[in-house]
Amino acid sequence: MSRRRFMIMGINAAGAATGLLIAAPIVGDILSPVFYKSKQPWVMVADIRHVPVGVPTAYVVMLNDSGDAWQVPAVPRTVYVVKANLSNAVQLITLSNVCTHMQCDVHWDVNLQVFLCPCHGGLYSMIGTNIGGPPPQPLFRYQHKLVGTTLYVRNVLTEGQ
Amino acid sequence: MAEELERSVLVGRLTRPISGLMATTYRWVDERLGVTDLVHQLLYEAVPRRGAWAYSLGSATLILIVLQIVTGMFLLWTYVPSTTEAWLSLNFIEHHDEFAAIVRGMHLWGAYILFVVIGLHMVRTFVSGSYKKPRELNWIVGVVLFLLVLGLGITGAMLPWDQAAYWTATVVTHVVDYFPIFGTQLQEILRGGPQMGPATLTRFFAIHIWLLPALLVPLIGLHLILLRRHGEHGSWVNYEGVEEETEAERAERMARAEAPYPALPSDPGYAVPMDLDDFFPSQVFKDALVSFGLVLLIFIMAIVIGAPIERAANPAALNYVPTPEWFFLPLDQLLVQFPQAWMIPVGVFILPGIGTTLLILVPFLDRTPGRQPWRRPEVMVPALFVLLFLIFEAMLAVNRLFNL
Repeated sequence: MSRRRFMIMGINAAGAATGLLIAAPIVGDILSPVFYKSKQPWVMVADIRHVPVGVPTAYVVMLNDSGDAWQVPAVPRTVYVVKANLSNAVQLITLSNVCTHMQCDVHWDVNLQVFLCPCHGGLYSMIGTNIGGPPPQPLFRYQHKLVGTTLYVRNVLTEGQ
Repeated sequence: MAEELERSVLVGRLTRPISGLMATTYRWVDERLGVTDLVHQLLYEAVPRRGAWAYSLGSATLILIVLQIVTGMFLLWTYVPSTTEAWLSLNFIEHHDEFAAIVRGMHLWGAYILFVVIGLHMVRTFVSGSYKKPRELNWIVGVVLFLLVLGLGITGAMLPWDQAAYWTATVVTHVVDYFPIFGTQLQEILRGGPQMGPATLTRFFAIHIWLLPALLVPLIGLHLILLRRHGEHGSWVNYEGVEEETEAERAERMARAEAPYPALPSDPGYAVPMDLDDFFPSQVFKDALVSFGLVLLIFIMAIVIGAPIERAANPAALNYVPTPEWFFLPLDQLLVQFPQAWMIPVGVFILPGIGTTLLILVPFLDRTPGRQPWRRPEVMVPALFVLLFLIFEAMLAVNRLFNL
């Protein structure tokens, strides 16, 4: 190997190694939100005795956005609390009002008895099943728990049905 | 002929591993864009052969500044320049985002190593008398670049808005209050009001990420253009025996000089180094190894020590002692040594001002003919005293701050 050839290989090796040292933590930094799981607290919604059966009722709760890192001020989100009468048993569902099509805000239309999305005409049933329009999947559901009759949700979404 | 050969070697290097179609595409782009010519211009020039490892300090400075810009860009993915969120966002990085913490560590240690390398680069240039004609302006540009980097260091230290940042910023912005006549107004301009607050952080953030870099980057360009215009002077080892040269020998040396030599207007004998080498690959090889070593050191320090963050800024603190960054220790010591209203301006404006002015004027103050440091005692001895004074002041400051 000539002296010149050796030096050119050395330049390439040192250059690549230097680039790698700089790039590795930066790439990790870019990808880190994929691996970061924020801990979401339970947030009180309402006393479920006030929620009528068969009428989806909207509540505004202050939730931390997932992956919000250090942010302390929460943002307001609508939770639809649904007591649905399904095969003689009342099921409690806490629906997100974010349309699964383009993430617009859906609302319960009392006359049509569906969740209606104003943007592109998506339709969902009372329990959030996508029954018309472009939405590809049912409305997401917030995780919820009951302490006595008090309903809590947290900003962890599960897929609907 | 040799140049043609070199050029084809380079094109071969750029295109060899890829298929004929890619080579054709490269040739198409090259004919229109002139990439090969540009690379050729950048890589093929003559540099002094002897002492080449010492000349890698300049390129190392450049690489470390690029490292600061790149890591700084990615710190902005998380950092919020607001007094309520700056500390929260960086504290989040330190505890929940390991990779961003490494990036932040590299930004801090990159700055520390950058100051060391810039210092050595300046000492090397000073000792070898490289600022002598025709390179006076490049010395001045270099001093301005050094001052800008100092400014970046002090403004960067304010941004975490932890205790250290807050109280350092308080002291630094209060220094200007002692400026004659306009002191109070200057302080209000720097702080965005009479006291430290949200506007203080946003303006130092703007100065740190836009104002100073916007001045720094074009001046680095000028520094490099001037370097290429006159060529590297190197050091005295490249000019040994020039005094004994006959006129004919000197004329012959000038005649076989390669671009960018002869550097004119130089003192007789110093226009062309005695022995030349190729910038590529000889000098680039040394530059690449030195820069790699420094980046590796920075990477290791970022992982092993990282960038500490103190508790969030507390303007109600009772006994917090802000420790200045180590490169400002001599100036901090002057604050102690010059008490009382009328003496404070001497310590904070007059002495540093005289020092900076002398540093800028070095090429014009040094009237000595030679390049060897031992033949220029008129500049070397005072410079050594200034350097020892700065180290002594820093040691006094360390003793005061840490009770060693």
